[in-house]
Amino acid sequence: MKSTRRDLFLFAGGSAAGALLTPAPWRLITDTALWSENWPGVPAPPRGEIRTRFTNCSLCRAGCGVRARCVGDQPVQLTGVASHPLSRGVLCPFGLTAHHLPYHPARLKQGPHERALAAVSAAIGSGDRVAVLDLQPGRTASWTYRRAMAALKNGVYLTNGPSVAYDLHQAKTVLSFGVPVLDGWGTPGNVIAARENFRLIQAEPVESRTATLADVWLPVQPGDEDATALAMAGELGADGSALVLDHRGPAAAMALNQRLGALGRTVVARPEAPVPVEWRSAAPATALAQVEDRSIRVLLIDESAVDGYVPWYQIERKLVLDNPVVVTFTASHGGYARHAQYALPTAVYPEISEDIPTAIDSVAATFRLSTALIAPPAGIVNPAEWIATLAGLAEGDTIRERADGIHDSGRGAIYTPADGKTVAVKDLTAEAFWKSLGEAGCWIDEPRHARAPETTTAVSEPHAHDSDVDLPLVAWLAGPSSPPLLSPLMTKLYQESNLRLAPNRVALHPSDARAARLADGVHAFFQTRLGRCGVDVTIDPGLPAGVVQLGTAPGILDVYRPGIRAKVVPA
Amino acid sequence: MADNADRSFIARGVKRCSTNQFLLWIAPWAALLCFGLYAAGLCLIKGLNQTNMDNRFAFGLWIFLDLTVIALGAGAFFTGFLLYILKFKELNAVINSAVVIGLVCYSGAVAVLAVDVGQSLRAWFTFWYPNMHSMLTEVTFCISCYLTVLAIEYVPILLRNRKLREVPGFLVFEFELHKLIYMLAGVGAFLSFFHQGSLGGLYGVLRGRPFAFREGFLVWPSTFFLFIISAAAVGPSFILLTTWLVEKISRKRLVRPQVFQLLARISGLLLSVYVLAKTVDTLIWLNHTSPARGFVASQYYDWKPFGTWILFAEIALFGAAPAWILLMPRLRKHTGWLVSAAGLACCGVALNRFVLTVQTLALPTLSFDPFLSYLPSWQETGTFLAVVAFGVLVYSFSFRYLRLFPEERELQLGQAVEASEPAGVLVER
Amino acid sequence: MTHANQPTKAARYGMTIDVDRCNGCGACMVACAVENNIPPVPEANDRKGLTWIRVFRVDNGEQGSARRSAYVPMMCQHCGADAPCVSVCPQHAVDVDPATGIVGEMPQRCLGCRYCMAACPYHARYFNWWDPAWPPGMEKTLNPGVTPRMRGVVEKCNFCHGRWHAAKQLAAANGQPDGPVSYTPACVEACPTGVIRFGDLNDAENPVARSVRENGSFRLLETLGTEPKVYYRSRKDWVRQIAAAPKPGQRKENGNG
Repeated sequence: MKSTRRDLFLFAGGSAAGALLTPAPWRLITDTALWSENWPGVPAPPRGEIRTRFTNCSLCRAGCGVRARCVGDQPVQLTGVASHPLSRGVLCPFGLTAHHLPYHPARLKQGPHERALAAVSAAIGSGDRVAVLDLQPGRTASWTYRRAMAALKNGVYLTNGPSVAYDLHQAKTVLSFGVPVLDGWGTPGNVIAARENFRLIQAEPVESRTATLADVWLPVQPGDEDATALAMAGELGADGSALVLDHRGPAAAMALNQRLGALGRTVVARPEAPVPVEWRSAAPATALAQVEDRSIRVLLIDESAVDGYVPWYQIERKLVLDNPVVVTFTASHGGYARHAQYALPTAVYPEISEDIPTAIDSVAATFRLSTALIAPPAGIVNPAEWIATLAGLAEGDTIRERADGIHDSGRGAIYTPADGKTVAVKDLTAEAFWKSLGEAGCWIDEPRHARAPETTTAVSEPHAHDSDVDLPLVAWLAGPSSPPLLSPLMTKLYQESNLRLAPNRVALHPSDARAARLADGVHAFFQTRLGRCGVDVTIDPGLPAGVVQLGTAPGILDVYRPGIRAKVVPA
Repeated sequence: MADNADRSFIARGVKRCSTNQFLLWIAPWAALLCFGLYAAGLCLIKGLNQTNMDNRFAFGLWIFLDLTVIALGAGAFFTGFLLYILKFKELNAVINSAVVIGLVCYSGAVAVLAVDVGQSLRAWFTFWYPNMHSMLTEVTFCISCYLTVLAIEYVPILLRNRKLREVPGFLVFEFELHKLIYMLAGVGAFLSFFHQGSLGGLYGVLRGRPFAFREGFLVWPSTFFLFIISAAAVGPSFILLTTWLVEKISRKRLVRPQVFQLLARISGLLLSVYVLAKTVDTLIWLNHTSPARGFVASQYYDWKPFGTWILFAEIALFGAAPAWILLMPRLRKHTGWLVSAAGLACCGVALNRFVLTVQTLALPTLSFDPFLSYLPSWQETGTFLAVVAFGVLVYSFSFRYLRLFPEERELQLGQAVEASEPAGVLVER
Repeated sequence: MTHANQPTKAARYGMTIDVDRCNGCGACMVACAVENNIPPVPEANDRKGLTWIRVFRVDNGEQGSARRSAYVPMMCQHCGADAPCVSVCPQHAVDVDPATGIVGEMPQRCLGCRYCMAACPYHARYFNWWDPAWPPGMEKTLNPGVTPRMRGVVEKCNFCHGRWHAAKQLAAANGQPDGPVSYTPACVEACPTGVIRFGDLNDAENPVARSVRENGSFRLLETLGTEPKVYYRSRKDWVRQIAAAPKPGQRKENGNG
């Protein structure tokens, strides 16, 4: 029997029709539901035992207590610790997303270790001046730097300014010139707890988040702070219940605070947890501004913990012109790594157990550790150990030494988040005290007589300049600086909504944008007489005209100083 | 040789251009189709971020043009309804063309919808887990069924091709199928009634969007009925427009003038009904429905560029004016007026669909919403151009190889006779 | 969204949001993203992002020193039984859970037609325009209690329904399967100033239920009849005005939501 083409067609057609009567094609169709749920790109969350661990957040010196929900050892969610006496269960957006930081794609993971060590050793060997710039003094690492600099022939330990603490619980009135009191300044939980006690007068040109919730918003232009303060001094009283904060720094408000009687009451020298006696012979702290220009040959910058970014021009002028060696210890490409010869990678929170110094709004000394939750990657450097080795200091567990020193002093009490209890140090052995610290405990000193802070005069900055004529805008920072590495989820606040100004953006009033021929979202240059920086533009009708609001990226801060005039030009 | 093979597919008695000329005609459309398929492919592979739609403009160019194209393709069901159910015999001249246009419009719309949804593989979910309360369920079911009906109606046209008729099986099949034509027309009319209406119902039921929300009859908002009437009104106009266009491009007479006049009268009449209904509905909406939901109607027209001009354009310029032109015998006798009126009517339907899709989404609902604007990306435009190219290609092939216009042969003979007569006034029969 | 374990009395979870206390810090937004495995979308702008809860800045319409701003957290308002988005979904991917009153969205059922997004007057629904993408290694930080969604589906706030389930399981494990379930959504937990409070509106003694009965409590777009379960509070008149529909003559410049 010969099969013809027609037979073939009949067979094919019949099979197709018959196949429809079998489950096969229908199963394939329903399977598409499963395929569409399991595309390769959709990640599967980790599986494992759910555990709760505790730590303290070291992104800033508030050091808020953190309860970490972990799958195995990996934190998957960070929340506050409600019974914590200082942070009271609050975490800021940076703290809530910090468990992402170890996996940040832009994180610095490698560095020229040998070359940096060789260059620094060579320079030290020839007797040139070495300096450590500590951007968060008061840590145990800070003391290591001080001891290291004391051990070197020509070593100097630098910090970025006077250390002051403020007592919001005792204040009845707070006059803030542009300081974001309610938006990332102190320990958020503590500020909020104290809020009912004081009247907040927020004086600044832009209605910031803090101004929205303040009792009074005074639209004061930069440059008019002193005049306003003088005018208000009378009504603020002189009994020490009022205090003044100034975005230009504590030195700018020191005279007024003295007049208000706040020094020693609500404005005090920042307390520190005790240190072992042997450490006291370490090098003194020198303010960066007090160092002679062009005198430092080797500068080691600890960027792993930063209170406030110091603009590069303030640092650069202290370096020798001929072949300076700058090493920065950082996890981010965006800070001093842009300027330094060598950038060495450090661990990020929550990878490393370090101590956190006392917060700006705590008048009692505190000591707590950011107990590590996961292991840091290979190849990272611990700046304190690196510098200690460089200076030939003996190895040792300095944090343990300090903890033992605190325990020996017998002062204060330690709070443990796991059980929410506070126990006096006197009632604990050194071992138990150390164990409690290792479980994210928080040591708080007893109330002591507060010292008035050192009254340093503010370094005067030159005022108006000839080239300011073509700089039509007043520059104003938006909110507190952000940590150098931001979780990718921060796009929710910066890009996927217009709630906060991203660090690399500037905001302009629509009329100023039109005058500069800038549209929303374009790339532009932010220019001052200190230089210029590439930025992206946001148009914000909520700003007053004549003000350009700045994100806090290091590149922008490098060309900014309070009250400076600026312009924004298309790229 | 190829030319001869090609010629053997073309019906006897009608003239078609040479193969090379035809290839020259389809080449740019084929290129456009390829470009459009590439744009659509990008959207399918990379995701809908290739478009400029966003969380506020959840519907954009595609939905707006889909709705327009489905309304224009309503000529298919309505002509069938008029011809087979209401026995308007003159419409035999255009029914085949109407079916092809309908097929092209609906299949194009369904293809674009497949790209428009985020998870095309789950398209069958609506059939398996239907939500009886949702207008979109109704739309999905009816459009799918109607597309099947159109495909079935297209088969006899296809099978009557000169070459395909030589297969006896096809001839018999086509003959049997033609017996079903009345049932198909009826089913098509029924399905179309519901899905044209449901497309209007999609917007009329949006309680959260007072700009689109309308009250109506039982579960059906007034937009349900308005969409049906406007589709029925514009269907004949679109048939008229496309037939005239094909006549112009092919330089042939394809239908008798009476057919145009009939289409124009039907369209004009329905358009008048539509304008009346729409005016009443708009007045009720402005004065009662919208304010009752807390939205004063005048604030809709504060947001430039959507001023009150858009309301007047829709009802007066693109509604009442073409209706009047189409109903005036003296005006519609002139091809210029006729075609312009048909074009205006089609624009009116497009504007109406635009207002309900894009303008609804552009207008703020919360007091602190900004007014946002939307412009489609090239990928969106490209995808839609693929549909246009697809339509032109299918129609071109159908026109060349199938008998879309039954009266063409007689008209051609008539033209030949006239050409040999002395030049004079054309006598209308 | 199970109907099997109905408690003896169904809950109706709602929120009260004190606009006068919100400083716009955004902690709620990031806490929500962490809890619900919402991917970062760096290519997005504020019109294409995924922000189940989003804080908007509103102002009193004045300029210069008379201008006053406030911050308003917005999420799915969890409308009543007749939610506009429920009836429009062609696949029944949206429902109102009778046990909790939560308007739930099933991303596995969603076709991505976005009809529900057109229906929602509160702009509370978000579409996955991109494939979800976390930087390499960061998938280890995902919350195991919530399924990440795929591209092309709609998602929105669900009052952390996963936490409700976990609380229910805990109650069942403690021998009280039908007992009252108390849990806290991520945004409520994260808010530093206590702006957002969450509770069962059916429980008359619950502080949230009591608060919504007080003066100064309002809901957005009440005239639409959506019966949302999210209430806002403010002592300022101009803030309470935001609840109303846009008015004639009130125009906003582009850009700031």
